[in-house]
Amino acid sequence: MSAVLHAHPESGPALGVDAGKPRRVLSEAGMRGRWWRFTLILAITAVVLVPILVTVVLAFTPGPNSTATGLTFENLSGVFSKTLAATWLKNSLITTLATVVVSVAVAAPAGYVLSRGRSKAVSGYSLLLFVMQSLPIITSVVPLFILFAGMGLVDNLLGLTIIYVGSTMTVATWMMAAYFDSIPVSLEEAAWIDGCSVFGSFLRVVLRNSLPGVLSTAIFAFLLAWNDYLVAIVFLRSNEIFTLPMGVQSFFQQNATDWTSVMALAVVMMLPPVIVFATLNKYFSVGGIGGSLAGR
Amino acid sequence: MSSTTAQSGLARARRGVAPGGSGTVPGKRRSKLSAQATRTFFWLLLPSVVLLVLIHGYPLIYAAVQATHDGNLLQTGNFIGGENFATVLTSPAFWKAAQFTLWFTIVGVFGSWLVGLGLALLLRTKIPAGNTFKVLLLLPWVVPIVVSSTAWNWLVATPDSLIPSLFRNLGLGTPLFLADPTLASITVMVFKVWVSFPFMMMMISAALASVDSTVYEAASMDGATRWQQFTQITLPLIARSTYISWILMTIFCVNDFPTIYLLTGGGPVNATTSLVVLAYRTVFQDFATGPGVAIAFLMTMTLVVISVILYRQIRKSSVE
Repeated sequence: MSAVLHAHPESGPALGVDAGKPRRVLSEAGMRGRWWRFTLILAITAVVLVPILVTVVLAFTPGPNSTATGLTFENLSGVFSKTLAATWLKNSLITTLATVVVSVAVAAPAGYVLSRGRSKAVSGYSLLLFVMQSLPIITSVVPLFILFAGMGLVDNLLGLTIIYVGSTMTVATWMMAAYFDSIPVSLEEAAWIDGCSVFGSFLRVVLRNSLPGVLSTAIFAFLLAWNDYLVAIVFLRSNEIFTLPMGVQSFFQQNATDWTSVMALAVVMMLPPVIVFATLNKYFSVGGIGGSLAGR
Repeated sequence: MSSTTAQSGLARARRGVAPGGSGTVPGKRRSKLSAQATRTFFWLLLPSVVLLVLIHGYPLIYAAVQATHDGNLLQTGNFIGGENFATVLTSPAFWKAAQFTLWFTIVGVFGSWLVGLGLALLLRTKIPAGNTFKVLLLLPWVVPIVVSSTAWNWLVATPDSLIPSLFRNLGLGTPLFLADPTLASITVMVFKVWVSFPFMMMMISAALASVDSTVYEAASMDGATRWQQFTQITLPLIARSTYISWILMTIFCVNDFPTIYLLTGGGPVNATTSLVVLAYRTVFQDFATGPGVAIAFLMTMTLVVISVILYRQIRKSSVE
């Protein structure tokens, strides 16, 4: 059994002992090892994906009162006709896209300062952002609820967006700073010597070369705003202002036995993040702050 | 180029030239640039500072006020000093929630780390369609909790759900995954590990990618066993990422709300009520704003200490 395992010395913890033999001799065993690991990872992936597969399959399975056979789209069209799914989807898209645009617009300049600044104030601000991102949002939610109630921003998508921008902004700034770190200052120096201002070099030299960093930050903000439940449950009251998480949850609570419809709605909610992830997974950095911390 | 060299290059770049810093720009020019840079920096930072004060600073101060007053969601009420904190700290519900949060965090952090580490090591070897698996395995992190908790509900909630039926058919009885207090706690923790392992997998994969494979070849030439290679090469090389990911996951677990609330609502009989869930319920269901905010405030203080320590450590290790 060790022959199978030590064909790939870099594969980490395994039980083989006689790792000293040359690798090439064992290519046949190596192939066998490859397929063995393939089967293992296939099995693990299958088990891990069961909850997601179940959601998708049920969403397209004919409901209890349906006459359809095989796979059907009637659950999907059903939830759009009997619930406010279209409104919830629209609300979620508006809040999320606004959050993405505004948090990148706020985080990019701030991240530039964090990356290039040398003063005590700048490193203090960097620490402050880091501490703030680690605090439980429940602490700020209650005071913000009172503040926003006075301003008519409770049960309001603008109020929701402001909070999302505030809570993505800390990590987003760190992510942008980590990316700007990778852009050599010498590029900017050339621009300064040519008479370019600092703001000019930020826009034309740094930001122009930072599309991957901007995309990672945007994806992070997108997922946070799209998936949030805690802020939504506190701040949203009426059905027509709900975002999708609230919509899915309220529909689930009222129709807990109508699984095919619940899952159809769940698929509607799952689709945008999965599409974003599928097309842009190159720029996806898990947890946002994790990658920037490791990199800075 | 490995990312370790990229990192040290970065560190060098960061210590080096900057607007107004020790650059090659001639002296007179530099001071002009420096004053201009300071002004530009101020304006670039301003929107971020305003938001930070509004969304984080103001609420934090107001929360401190609420925690020391006997008000409700509509008015602040009278100053009562530490009474809310005393109420909270002497209530059994608080300590029960603290205990659950502790277990939830320990299992969440180390469970997801172990699974993530195993998968990262497995995916590092040459496997057919390896990248496809890597992408597929990240899905639990990408799919909204509202959706995955619904799916988990379908899988385990009632005695006739898929997984309890499976147990029954195997002759293992019919476990009530969400109705039995102990089982419900375990289910929520497994759910948390399911949601979080992709984070660990990605953090560890990134660290492993920077390790030069010739190190292992040299080690096996010298007769190191696979276990020795793992403990003496792999683990030390991923130590920094591991440390960062542990602390971050601790913060994620302590602050978690939807994973718990959407699967069990904190029940049965409060068995899965974490501190955040307790704070939420105290404020928005019992309308006891003061004690609720006091709970949140105690968590906040703990997390401030944790994150300041983490920040210091990371700064120290990256400046070297």
